[in-house]
Amino acid sequence: MCPLDHPLNTPPKPQTAPTSAPGASLARAWPKEGFTRAPYWVYLDSQTYANEQTHIFRGAHWHYVGLEVEVPNPGDYKTTYIGEQSVVLTRADDHSLNVVVNRCAHRGNMVCREPFGKAKKLYCVYHAWSFTLKGDLSHAAFSQGLRGEGGLPKDFALGDHGLQKCRVATLCGLVFATFSDKTPPLEEWLGEVAVGIKRVLNRPLKVLGYDTQRIHANWKTYHENPRDSYHANILHTFYGTFGLSRMSQESGMVLDQAGRHVYFYTKAGTEKKSADYEATTSQLRSHNDGLKLEDSSILGWKDEFGDGVSVQILSTYPGFVLHQIAHSLATRQICPKGVGQTDLVWTYFGFADDDEAMTQKRLVQTNLAGSAGMVSVEDAAVCEMMQHAMADAQVGESFIEMGGKDLDIQGSSKLSERAIRNFWHHYKEDMGL
Amino acid sequence: MIDFEPHYRRVEQLIYAWARAIDEDRVEHIAELLFDDGRYTVKSRFNHDRGLPLAVIDAQSAAQLRDRILSMRKANVYQPQHYRHMLSGVHIASGDDNTFEVTHNFLIVRTMDLSGDMKIFATGQCHDLIVLTPEGAKFKERLFLFDSRVVETLMVIPL
Repeated sequence: MCPLDHPLNTPPKPQTAPTSAPGASLARAWPKEGFTRAPYWVYLDSQTYANEQTHIFRGAHWHYVGLEVEVPNPGDYKTTYIGEQSVVLTRADDHSLNVVVNRCAHRGNMVCREPFGKAKKLYCVYHAWSFTLKGDLSHAAFSQGLRGEGGLPKDFALGDHGLQKCRVATLCGLVFATFSDKTPPLEEWLGEVAVGIKRVLNRPLKVLGYDTQRIHANWKTYHENPRDSYHANILHTFYGTFGLSRMSQESGMVLDQAGRHVYFYTKAGTEKKSADYEATTSQLRSHNDGLKLEDSSILGWKDEFGDGVSVQILSTYPGFVLHQIAHSLATRQICPKGVGQTDLVWTYFGFADDDEAMTQKRLVQTNLAGSAGMVSVEDAAVCEMMQHAMADAQVGESFIEMGGKDLDIQGSSKLSERAIRNFWHHYKEDMGL
Repeated sequence: MIDFEPHYRRVEQLIYAWARAIDEDRVEHIAELLFDDGRYTVKSRFNHDRGLPLAVIDAQSAAQLRDRILSMRKANVYQPQHYRHMLSGVHIASGDDNTFEVTHNFLIVRTMDLSGDMKIFATGQCHDLIVLTPEGAKFKERLFLFDSRVVETLMVIPL
């Protein structure tokens, strides 16, 4: 068709823009379809973001804060986040793990300013209030005043002025914390997805290092990503480009009963020929016959867990990911930093009993994931491109019907967005939307 | 005490040639500046200072570096962008007649094609092992230690 056959000024397709009067604030209504849609304002609205901090990050959920092995000895601490709130994970003298808000109970100064440290007490530099490793106030400078003047009131009780404390629970060396008294016990909350954690974290761990990606997009764009098994072999073309395509491998998806959490797995060496598969891959961008890696040794994999699973991506609501990508093992912590920024903190680890050769295998496979990961570097790019495309987000919504319109947790096909539908279902419930 | 002065020019030219190849989008060329059994590593100072071995990029041969560059060209998706390297303080710390340990500072500005946004992408110190051969100078090892624990979005173009 000749280009001139097209009308030069195509009338805009009608969009369902809120029809409020000029000057009126925009209606924040969720699309009537429910959890098969996510309106773009939910990624951009500052009041929504503030409500998330209250209802999700300080709500009745467990939030990953670190590994037990990061604070192995009494006095060890790690400074991290739950939502935007800076918190400190400590190992107390009785070896208990504690998570306290990193904000002095006196005038709100930040108590710990090192990412990791060792201390006998948590000490606020502003007025020398000091707290035990469990967060109890042990001393306030000049609390009795000086020469009979000043000082704290007579009814001042140390016990009333500790650092705010979180509940703490652990599973297989992972440490989770919650601000809420209503959060069910950790394993109950994780449900069936705990199996995926126990499968990988079956013995003591050893930290290999950290990687943080600063993604200029709303945290939910990243949260949806590891729940999205549909995109994996389409967006991430490393395997396809180099003739290592995997879509036909035996794979599956497991959600907990509530549908909050999910893990996907793929078994290597189970490729099946199918006409559907051949027809689809030949249309994918990744289909690029002829290119080969010169040195594919970095992809080397042996079945270390004895079940044939070569890739497992596990995601818990709202901000934790555990991955096994061949021998690369890592946690990812999603830290929201304002409505349009997310810090994604990767903690790579191996097992304490790994020999040097195994440690080297895990390290070299860091080339595959993370901020410079050849297999999945696209994820951060897509989050930012989504955020960019949302523009002012007053119009539009995403469409989430791959694999159906329901929350059904039966079946295991990875060509389904039901883990994302389940996320929005819980999100809507938590947020009262 | 060896006088390194006569070698500075060749060492600096090699370091500049690497940066220029990246800035001019001839990234493939950097693999030619690395020995076949050379090593190119990009690691955060955060990990390095804590004795943690993890690097975000660790190419343990020129072949692995070529694979990474091919992946960047053919497989990886990212918003079109360019680097500009500012290098300073080239210092030959030690060496013998033909092998030198060299450090220098780097500052890399990243410019996005679509938006035109410019940002300091990485600063840090590079630790090189450079060997002078009759065919020219080459890198045996390059270790880029970047100062921040954070990578802005992603690192798909090598430093």
